[in-house]
Amino acid sequence: MIEILSVTGPASVQDLGRFDQYRFGVGTSGAMDDVALRVGNIVLGNDENAAGIEIPMTPFKLRFGRDMAFALTGAGVEAEIAGRAIPPWWRLHARAGDILNIKAMSCGARSYLTVSGGIDVPVVLGSRSTQFRGEFGGLHGRPLLPGDSLPCTASTTTIGELGIEPADITLARSNAAADETIVRVVIAGEYDAFDAATQELFWSSSWKITPQSNRYGYRLQGPAVKPKAPIEKRSHGIVPGVIQIPPNGQPIIQMRDAQTSGGYPKIATVIRADLWRVGQARLGGRLRFEQTAYADALAAEDGMSAYLDRLRTNVRLVEEIRTCR
Amino acid sequence: MPIEMTDVERLAQILERSGVDAIEIEEPGLSLKLVVEKSARMAASPTPAAAAGPATDHSVLAKANVAGHFLAAHPWRDKPFVAPGQRIEAGAIVGLVKIGLLYAPIVAPAAGTVDAVIAETGATVGYGTPIARIRPLAESNPIN
Repeated sequence: MIEILSVTGPASVQDLGRFDQYRFGVGTSGAMDDVALRVGNIVLGNDENAAGIEIPMTPFKLRFGRDMAFALTGAGVEAEIAGRAIPPWWRLHARAGDILNIKAMSCGARSYLTVSGGIDVPVVLGSRSTQFRGEFGGLHGRPLLPGDSLPCTASTTTIGELGIEPADITLARSNAAADETIVRVVIAGEYDAFDAATQELFWSSSWKITPQSNRYGYRLQGPAVKPKAPIEKRSHGIVPGVIQIPPNGQPIIQMRDAQTSGGYPKIATVIRADLWRVGQARLGGRLRFEQTAYADALAAEDGMSAYLDRLRTNVRLVEEIRTCR
Repeated sequence: MPIEMTDVERLAQILERSGVDAIEIEEPGLSLKLVVEKSARMAASPTPAAAAGPATDHSVLAKANVAGHFLAAHPWRDKPFVAPGQRIEAGAIVGLVKIGLLYAPIVAPAAGTVDAVIAETGATVGYGTPIARIRPLAESNPIN
């Protein structure tokens, strides 16, 4: 059991998402940074889809009701347990009664707390993720509040402390800049409805992430990108990552809590292997889009799988070395 | 390529002769770790452990317990885990050993004051490599 003591902003229980109900209009939800959630689960020996807590703002404080292993991944945070500092991307053991205090977030936008065995809220429509729009899943279908108790299936097996190289170091792209997140996108259905100069504007701009950005979508600010002629489309199926251009010419990236359909013209779609980078981009920060081919988008997913395989192998090896001793 | 028992014996002899404490071999689907028993070697060849300092020195050493590359600071942090003169508790992290995608913490065996961080960032360390020298507090008991 975990007791929430204090929370800022909409923290929620999330697994990788709800994928089988999309045709009925039920969005995926799921961790905005799926890589961080997977890594946290891998180092704890969990199923990668085990539910964790997504923490978008600090301070955040909770108490462990029993001994259990846990991990913090995702955003760079200043965190303490029982008064002792926890390095970034770290797995460790909490004792019953220990208070975890996440005091500040120095880089990234979402921290993930995973626990051995996962957060054991009921599975609803195939997932433990909180669906904000439908108000189901997670804990009572809503963000966490002080006083909430989260059930855990945690085993009390003691495992040693271990750090993981943060994914943005391992998966850094060669063109990465400190003040800008660059994400790869494939062009989408209405790309050709924009003239060459406008297309160029879309690629060359450094887009500002406005405060109207959240789990539903990121609203960006920059030069107006408008189609050659106004486009009126019927609502049609869209997926997280789709970049729409509403009439004001300011792009919207649909995220995990997006609706399953929309009518705005689509200029491009963030590839799945880079969606976590958007999830970790901060309000007020900057985004740039890099055009990529469909084949390269698939190759990027293979690269992600290879990274996770390598991590699993590394964890197994280190555990074996430690047990040998 | 499977490792035969004769290979293991040969590797053990090489370790013994070369004064290396441990070796770890990692290949897809295979990992091997050999650790030389320290006391046995001491008896066989009484080489004084220079890194441990003079015999009268009561300082304790935080040592690596796995092979990899030493990091004095977390890559996301500017400040190293510990600096000379700093008071630390037993179990405090004094540095990391990077092994592939993972960081294994090196912890202080006793509470005390950091005398020196011996290892340099990026250096290859192995099982038993001294990382930091700590002057223990008089009343403290080493945890190992």
